[in-house]
Parts: sequence; C-alpha cells; structure tokens
Amino acid sequence: MKTSLLTSDARTKKRNATEARFKAYGLAAIVAAMLALAVLLSSVLSNGLSSFQQTYITLPVQLPAERLDRSGNRDPAEIAKTTTIGYSPILANAILTEVDRLGLTTDLSDRDVFDMISKEAAATVRDRVLANTDLIGQTVTFDVLASGRIDGYFKGRVTMETAALDGNTSPEALMLAQQMADAGVITTKFNWNFFTAPDASGQRPEAAGLGVAILGSLYMMLVVLFLALPIGVASSIYLEEFAPKNRITDIIEVNISNLAAVPSIVYGILGLAIFINFMEFNQSSPLVGGLVLTLMTLPTIIISTRAALKSVPPSIRDAALGVGASKMQSVFHHVLPLAAPGILTGTIIGLAQALGETAPLLLIGMVAFVREYPAAYTPEAGLFGEASTALPVQVYNWTQRSDPAFVERASGAIITLLLFLLVMNAVAIYLRRRFERRW
Amino acid sequence: MEDMIQMDRAMDTRHDIKISARDVQVYYGDNHAIKDVSVEIEDKTVTAFIGPSGCGKSTFLRCINRMNDTIDIARVTGDIRIDDEDIYDPRVDPVQLRAKVGMVFQKPNPFPKSIYDNVAYGPKIHGLARNKADLDEIVEKSLRKAALWEEAKDRLDKPGTGLSGGQQQRLCIARAIATAPEVLLMDEPCSALDPIATAQVEELIDELRQSYSVVIVTHSMQQAARVSQKTAFFHLGHLVEYDDTDKIFTNPQDPRTESYISGRIG
Repeated sequence: MKTSLLTSDARTKKRNATEARFKAYGLAAIVAAMLALAVLLSSVLSNGLSSFQQTYITLPVQLPAERLDRSGNRDPAEIAKTTTIGYSPILANAILTEVDRLGLTTDLSDRDVFDMISKEAAATVRDRVLANTDLIGQTVTFDVLASGRIDGYFKGRVTMETAALDGNTSPEALMLAQQMADAGVITTKFNWNFFTAPDASGQRPEAAGLGVAILGSLYMMLVVLFLALPIGVASSIYLEEFAPKNRITDIIEVNISNLAAVPSIVYGILGLAIFINFMEFNQSSPLVGGLVLTLMTLPTIIISTRAALKSVPPSIRDAALGVGASKMQSVFHHVLPLAAPGILTGTIIGLAQALGETAPLLLIGMVAFVREYPAAYTPEAGLFGEASTALPVQVYNWTQRSDPAFVERASGAIITLLLFLLVMNAVAIYLRRRFERRW
Repeated sequence: MEDMIQMDRAMDTRHDIKISARDVQVYYGDNHAIKDVSVEIEDKTVTAFIGPSGCGKSTFLRCINRMNDTIDIARVTGDIRIDDEDIYDPRVDPVQLRAKVGMVFQKPNPFPKSIYDNVAYGPKIHGLARNKADLDEIVEKSLRKAALWEEAKDRLDKPGTGLSGGQQQRLCIARAIATAPEVLLMDEPCSALDPIATAQVEELIDELRQSYSVVIVTHSMQQAARVSQKTAFFHLGHLVEYDDTDKIFTNPQDPRTESYISGRIG
C-alpha cells in the first residue's frame, strides 16, 4: 500500500508522542526547581533583608566626671574600673531627659523607658569614653542601639498586639518609640555593624553581627586555598601525567573518587583526632577548620583537575614532545595553561563547598560563642590560632536562639553567605573566560 | 631521456645511510603491530611509507623518535640506529633524540601561542639561542625554510591557531626544523589539507631534502610518487617491499605491492 508523506503513520505518531512526553517531563522538572528556588529566595530575603537595617536612638549623653573619674586625674586604668553597670544610670538619665525635652508624656516607668535602649548601649558608650577620656565632663551625642523589640517594631516584626502579650515590651513603649521617631530621635540606618560586630548574647540580638564569622571564614578559605590548590593540582598532575598506570594507581583513583563522597562530618572526626587531639592545635581555631576543610576539598579539586588535564587534546602533548620538550616541560608549558580554566573552576567550586560547610566545624569546636575578634597572629596561639567561628556555623548558632529577632539575623547571615558564593562563582566565570583559549 | 632520469635517480640515491633498523618488533599489549621490519633510510632523501590503514607505517615512524615511549602498553624490540648509534640504548635520553629527529603530525597542531612563540619554543628549551637576536634569526630562518615567512612576518605575535590549515601545517614544519634536526618525520602531513595547501607542502618537502633526511607516511600513492625517492610498502605489520620509488610504482616485485598500487587491496 502506498503511504502519503502528508499523514504520519502510527509508529511515527508514537515516537513523536514519546518525545513530547519526555520534553514535558523536563520542562516540569525545571519549573518545579525554579519555583522551589523562588520560594527559598523570597523566604530568605523577606526574613533577612531587614537585618541590613538597624534602629538607632540619637541621645545627647552627659558624661559626668564625678561618676566616671572620681579621682579626677584622667587615669585610663582607673576609668576602666567603672563597668558597664556604672554607665547604665547615665544612659537612663539621658533618655529620660530626652523624653522630657521632647515634651512627650508616657505612663511607662523610668525603668521601662530605659529598657527601650539596647543593653549593648552601655558598652558602646564605655568603649568611646575609654578610647577618648577627654569626653568626660562633656555632653556627647551618641547613636545608641534601640532594643530588639523597638527595632522589630520599626521593621514590622513587633506589633501592638504582640507587644501586649510580650513581657519584654508593651504597647506604651512602642507608642513612645513612634513619637520619638516622629520627632526624629529614633532613626533607621544601614546596619554596618552587622558585618563588623562580633556575635552578641541571646538577650541582645540587635547587637549581633557577623564580623568574627566573616573573618573566620576568610582565614579558613585562605588556609584551604594555599593548601588544597597546590597539593591538589600537584597530585593530579602526578597521577594523570607521570604515575604508571597499574593496579595501585587504579585503587588510588577509585579511592579519591570515594573520598569526594564521604560525609563531611567524618572529616570533622578525623580533624578532631589528628589536629586537636594528636597535634594539639587550638580547638575552634581557623587553622584547624581550614585544615579539615582542606582535607574535604582536596578530592573535589583533584577530580576536576584530572578531568581538565584529560581534556587537553593529546596533539598538544605530541607537539611538545615532538620538538624535544621533556615530559615536565610539556606539562608545565603547554598542558597546564590549557587546563587552567577547568582547574580554576574546580578549585572555586571546592572553595564554595568549603565555605558553606558546617558539619565538620561543629566537631572541632567552631560552634562556640565567640564574642571577641580573633587575632590573625599571636605569639601564644600562632598563625590563625585563636578561637573563631564561621558563617554557616553562625547561621546554625542563631537559629538555635529563642529570641525571634535572631530569625532575621540568621536569614541575613544566609544572604551574606549566598552573596559570598555568588561573588566566588562570578570570579570563577571571569577567570574561566580570561584563561580560556581556543585550539 | 628516460635514461637521463634513471641516471639522475642513481646519482641521487648515492647517499649515506642515516637510519638503519633491524628486526624491529612493536607490540601494543598483546597486539603484534610491527613484525621483523628491517630498513635502511638514506640521508638527504625523501623516503615514503605507504600501505593500507592499520598496516603499521605510522607506528614504525613513531619508533624512530621514540614517540611510542609515551604509550604505556607499547613495547619496541630490535635495533634502530641513527648515525650508527642505537637510539634505544638506555643511555639515550629521548628528549635529546627528539631534538635531533623532528616530527610533523597528521593534524596541524600548533601550540595555542603566538606564531613566534611556536617556532621559538624548541630553540628556547634546547638553549640554541644565546640572546633575543639569535632567536629572532632562528625564527625567521625556520619560517623562510617552511615558506611561511612572507605570509607570517607581519603577524608574528598573532596566535598560530588563527592561521589556515595549510599555513598551520607549514608552521608546524617550521617549528620542527627550528631545533635544527637531522631527520624529519612526517606522519601524513597533508591528510587534513586541501589540494593547494598540499601542493605547497609537497614543494616544501622537496626543498627540505637538501638539508634533511625526510621520512613521510602517506595514504596517497600519487604523493609518494611525487615527493619521494625511496618508498617502503607496509602490509599487516610487515615491510613487504622497499626500493626506489619509480621501481615500486612501475615494477613491483611482490604481488601484494602490485595489488595495492593497482588499487585491488587497501
């Protein structure tokens, strides 16, 4: 029977239907993934963007010499004896004076008015005074942090209804805050402190920042970069180009691939046993964290470097060997430059993975609450030796705190972490383009 | 007239032996790729290796500069001598050997660097130039010999990969002769080129004969007839016949050679 080309037969129809179905599955999967990403991003952004803003109260604070410098000789050691508790009445006085000056009336007790200021404020004032003792005796204008609840009110997290049920604030306090904001005394500014301040205790989420975590992550990334990149690239070159191909190298190759799939917490236990128990490095230190992450990142870098080396066309090796280059020269002069984009991409993916890794860091004690900046070098602790924390661990820490203000902080930290990853990926793409050559 | 040509050939072929191979066997794992090949290749002569695909001609060529060393499973036995020195002697460093025996590959494979750097690379790593002026001279001389100077002199800093296929192959030839080799191995140098580029490269090969012993592997019998003085016919790993080129093409001794030449096998 003669068939027309204008009508498709049953087999063709079936084939086309299969193809259309496959395409539909693919499209559906991608749409689902995009939706999930959109939900994730919108949830993180809506919770976390507000952490980049912070509410401040502008207060002229009288710094009475008779309280802060009883002996009157401006001796820093003596002034330092006044603790933050000693500064509290000064601040209480300042805010009450300010409320009076604005002519605002409230039913709140003096204690409740003072509680509108963050507990961190006393330390802020004290630090400024210790840094410059000439301020004593003067009236100095400070931008002090508002308490977490007042901050939450201006960000929409705390409402009159929730305040009525809250033991830490009251609708009256919020109303007073609103009046002060109308008078321009309470303002919301960009929150630089979020990136520079160390962590703060559970009672003062408004003061908590990522400074130590960012610094710790940075130190660790430096350790990973300077250890994992050279070791990883050198071992891949040896395995790929020089090592004899036999059973032993096969076993090594399989095991490197397996190591890439080992749960990261296992590396944490390894690090605990080797670096802390055996080698006695300081626990929670970026050096130990960096070493553990190096172990974890090495397989990723080795695998991608070997793939990059393999993808260099053999004709280039032949060409180099043909003009009498030694093996080493052909690898370092010709193969490695051509493999560079792949190696860089692999390294940055490895670094990004290491940057976001939490589990192994928990085991080496980086989960600790760190209030002080770690020094890059101290004679006692050595390089990168002081206790620190890391970005993902900080997120984990904050999600465990009870104050709802920490939800905002944690989301803000996630946004910061994602930004870092975005920057690293952008660098990877840029370097790839830069080094990519055609042959 | 015919006699004149015969005379010419006879004069031509009176050269020293440059490469002599005796009982060469090559194994790739269990595969016996080259069987009992013995051949004597003359200096200042173009010798063509012809034969069907997979007959071992490229494999044998790669034995002459020990490129087979880079293949883990390849094993070479027998005796290959250049200027009466055994190149498989343990004291021989293949790197030094390859400076003396240049190679041009089937696919043009310039380094992804500038034209200048492509040619200068060999002299640089072998320390053939004392200074930049020396190096410039070597580069110019090599490019001139490879008949590429006129086309490339204004774009020496441009990537070698930006040249046309024929130019790339001539660049590879320039790169090979920049290290001042004594033998030039060419593995199907024209198979990726169009007829015009092929003609240019063939002309070049004929000129190179003045200074080098050239060994060329080719699939094209016409090419072998055009450029070579000696021809070796390989079949299934054996060297079937080796003689003056016109003898092979006009009066082959072995029936297999005859069938191949006349297009019945291969």
